[in-house]
Amino acid sequence: MAQHAAKGARFQAVTANRLSDGEVVYWSDDNRWVEGFTKAEIADGADAADALLARAMPADFEAHVLEPYLFEVLEDGSFYKPASVRETIRAAGPTVRLDLGKQAGA
Amino acid sequence: MTDLNLVIDGAAAENIWHYLDDDAPLTDAPSIITLTRLKAEADSLASRTAPLGVILHADGLGKTDQGENVRELAPYIDHLALVALHFPIYRNGRGYSAARVLRQEFNFAGELRATGDVLYDQWAMMNRCGINAFELADNVSLETFQTALGELSGAYQPAADATRGALWARSGK
Amino acid sequence: MYRYDEFDHQLVADRVIQFRGQVERRVSGALTEDQFKPLRLMNGVYLQLHAYMLRVAIPYGTLRSEQMRMLAHIARKYDRGYGHFTTRQNIQYNWPALDKIPDLLDELATAEMHAIQTSGNCIRNVTSDQYAGAIADELEDPRIISEIIRQWSTFHPEFTYLPRKFKIAVTGHENDRAAIKLHDIGIVVKQNSAGEIGYEVHVGGGQGRTPFVAKKMTDFVPKEKLLAYLEAVMRVYNMLGRRDNSYKARIKILVHETGQEEMQRLVEAEFAKIDASEMLTVPQEEIDRISAYFAPPAFETLPAESETFTQAQVDDANFARFVRANVVAHKQAGYAIVNISLKPIGGVPGDATDTQMDVIADLAENHSLDEVRVTHEQNLVLPHVKLDDVKAVYDALAAHELATANLGLISDQIACPGLDYCNLANARSIPLAQEISERFADLDRQYDIGELKIKISGCINACGHHHVGHIGILGVDKKGTEFYQISLGGAADENAAIGQITGRAFTEEDIVDAIETVVTTYTDLRADDERFIDTYNRLGMAPFKERLYD
Repeated sequence: MAQHAAKGARFQAVTANRLSDGEVVYWSDDNRWVEGFTKAEIADGADAADALLARAMPADFEAHVLEPYLFEVLEDGSFYKPASVRETIRAAGPTVRLDLGKQAGA
Repeated sequence: MTDLNLVIDGAAAENIWHYLDDDAPLTDAPSIITLTRLKAEADSLASRTAPLGVILHADGLGKTDQGENVRELAPYIDHLALVALHFPIYRNGRGYSAARVLRQEFNFAGELRATGDVLYDQWAMMNRCGINAFELADNVSLETFQTALGELSGAYQPAADATRGALWARSGK
Repeated sequence: MYRYDEFDHQLVADRVIQFRGQVERRVSGALTEDQFKPLRLMNGVYLQLHAYMLRVAIPYGTLRSEQMRMLAHIARKYDRGYGHFTTRQNIQYNWPALDKIPDLLDELATAEMHAIQTSGNCIRNVTSDQYAGAIADELEDPRIISEIIRQWSTFHPEFTYLPRKFKIAVTGHENDRAAIKLHDIGIVVKQNSAGEIGYEVHVGGGQGRTPFVAKKMTDFVPKEKLLAYLEAVMRVYNMLGRRDNSYKARIKILVHETGQEEMQRLVEAEFAKIDASEMLTVPQEEIDRISAYFAPPAFETLPAESETFTQAQVDDANFARFVRANVVAHKQAGYAIVNISLKPIGGVPGDATDTQMDVIADLAENHSLDEVRVTHEQNLVLPHVKLDDVKAVYDALAAHELATANLGLISDQIACPGLDYCNLANARSIPLAQEISERFADLDRQYDIGELKIKISGCINACGHHHVGHIGILGVDKKGTEFYQISLGGAADENAAIGQITGRAFTEEDIVDAIETVVTTYTDLRADDERFIDTYNRLGMAPFKERLYD
């Protein structure tokens, strides 16, 4: 699998897929999984990133999600955006079907 | 309902066998030794009357992690009361072929046991391949075991069990 | 075509109950994801970028209209109104919910369909010639032995945990439309001097990281002994195939590392034992029973020519083009094979909406003796259309964007789902296919270029078959940016060949121009009626490389 736990990344977030329906989710700063990237908690630095991943993976995490992992994000003005093409696509939906996925406001 | 650790031929069983390290002295207790030891001590073991078993590994050999060759058991098969097939991880399926070779080519009639990473969803297929003894994790009931074996009510193809397979049974062959 | 008996129905039903139980145990935590994953894969359930993906089996690419309607219904009820036809003649749905999949499988079962063994390290869907039963050159309908292999391989207890996936393909004749030499086992129907049907068996083909053309293992296995032979190959593979490295775990690596002769010896030794027991010699009654399902359908006795068909081509230039590209001669007088392109200009290759599937189901029922086929090049086929009806079929297809007259032409590309959908991808493939399609949209230009198969993969796993494209394109990730590597000279037919890489990869901005450069190099240098692949085989890489990298 093309995982992107980026080395040398400064800002990172945690993502996974929801067990019930496979929906892309992010670990948010109110300690739950959310569907929108804009609500993802951002960790600054490697130690914070490790702690973030640990918070997102309590003993029973498999009851809710599959395979959480860290991915790099970049500053984008006063917000953040995913660094990789893959995570950009995961956050929005297929680029060839703008009527599907999160980008369609579904 | 007591929790099982061993099922043989579909029934709860007491385990009488011990796995023996290569350097542990052999006793008259039913003992399972490695293939390496079996080959090395073949001469002295030939006169053993106490029950003897061997454990066959599906990994660990050479740079590409090959399994031990089940056909190396051929010279000893009449002398073995048990063969244990080790599954290092449930998805290493070499043991399924080893089981069939033992049952169908060597006509091995002793206890054929699955050991290692052996889970609910593999028991039925192992059983069809001729494995008749299962080391179970704690808190598995006999009912659970029997349920697993019955999940698929038939088969298309023959293996080492009594099922002929629909491709044959349909025409009474 | 095959119809389930009570036994087939029961086994599929048992499987759905079993999987429902496995899903429950996963949700309850009794199974970890690591324990559940191979179980869900063996029921066709992948995890992809945005959602789960379900791959439904279409055995040897053959469907009844009722089954195509069920696929449309599934798309509507459980997914987002479309499906994707694959390079293994299956269909994929990109948005099913795990907790609804058991219900979905129950519904599929009512149409004699399932998702059994469409993923996982087991024997997968047996694929075959999309023109089976309709084409003159076949020695025997390859779907007969395909169905026998399908049953034998289903829930095979010995081969449920192989080192890796295992793919089998069958062609009914030397003219191979099923790419058998790129499969783990590829089978060619043969006839011996006594006129008996048997099989030539090739082993160890495959694409991915290390592509190989399969090696011939045996010239002729009699029909009733083929299963014994296949079981021998599988046992050798299951016992000796590598499990230390998943990139070296396919049988192609075993054949390569063991050597063809030694592999033959191992297989023959195993075969001798299995054959001696006669346990796998298929009874003639069962062969006959299954063969009967593939007997020729009730063709009418018709004249070879059709006035309607001929005149319609005179009257309608677009229809004439469609006939020229997409309609193939049928073995039965007065009939034709009609290819449905799922590659409209600028469209997503291989996708069909639920509406389109329903339209095709109706056409199959009313005009194709209730059959429709899926090709490994992600298109569909109506195999048995009366010449008299081809125009009406064309009109119905045209009304639903299904009449693109580009079969085998440059815009008839194979593209994997790529980074838009797939967890394994390094680059997007579909937008590239769309851009190439638009660049070469002009049909006159496409006809002038002639047969040119472009195959695009978004990663080295090669699901887009790029190794065997006349032009192959591999998407790669260079420091987070999508690049595209071109290969030339691949072929998937009986002259199977792995393409050669041209050199440095191209950026997203430059790749379509690079493809155009390759095409114009060909059209500048071709002799007589040479197709692209002929010119490439005559001249080699040099002139293409020179023009690409001047």
